[in-house]
Amino acid sequence: MPETMRDRGLFWSPAPDWTTARIDGNGYSARRVLDFGQTLVSGDLGAAVADMMPGAPEVGLWSVAAAEPFALRIGRDRALLVSPAPLAAAPGWRNGYVATPCDAAYAILEISGVALREIVAEGTSVDIEAGSRSAAVLFAGVTVFLYRIGPETARLHVEAPLAAYLWAWLEGRR
Amino acid sequence: MQLFLCPFCGERDETEFTFCAEAGKTRPEPAAEVPADAWARYLHFDHNPKGATREVWLHATCGEFFLMERDTVSHAVAGSHSLRRPEA
Repeated sequence: MPETMRDRGLFWSPAPDWTTARIDGNGYSARRVLDFGQTLVSGDLGAAVADMMPGAPEVGLWSVAAAEPFALRIGRDRALLVSPAPLAAAPGWRNGYVATPCDAAYAILEISGVALREIVAEGTSVDIEAGSRSAAVLFAGVTVFLYRIGPETARLHVEAPLAAYLWAWLEGRR
Repeated sequence: MQLFLCPFCGERDETEFTFCAEAGKTRPEPAAEVPADAWARYLHFDHNPKGATREVWLHATCGEFFLMERDTVSHAVAGSHSLRRPEA
């Protein structure tokens, strides 16, 4: 029977079982962190943080976030509020900002180990030690939000459909 | 690799940026009365200077539109400026 249409499903990286997926590479390990709350806010970021997570610190590129909650700065007018669990905040405009729940919109990959800087150097050309107000950066060709939660542990937030690709990229360097 | 300067983020790799337009173009108005050749000039024709130029660029990862002054021969970047109006 002639092939009339290609199965493009085979084109994409297969998604692993995220509840158990783990990479143990040379000097690093990686896993996906599940169940965090993520709320995208645009506009008056000060008002958004005061309303939804008062006192939460702002985190930029390669900054160390000591604990959730925190406001991950990803643009001049935009931040991703990261919380230990999804926020109950209603979506929509108010007080000069708009809130968009996106708990599942971004996958959070956590990379840990002495090889962390080597991995980051492979994935992006940004000077991480110079810092940057925005955590949004090109990593392995896709936009991620990059910061740390410890000296040798980093997290990447990536649009969920791209998580399998980024996972395959990490596995490829094992 | 070349580094461009985003007014918000600082220096980033050129691959994070997208050219938008030459700066200083004025959209012809009123749109309904603008003849086709004037629209074509506005949309498709650039001065494309050899040397110093001013252009609008987008830092795609953070979403910042900004004005960049650069040299089209040497590729040297003279400066980047926010397009924001000063706060009232």
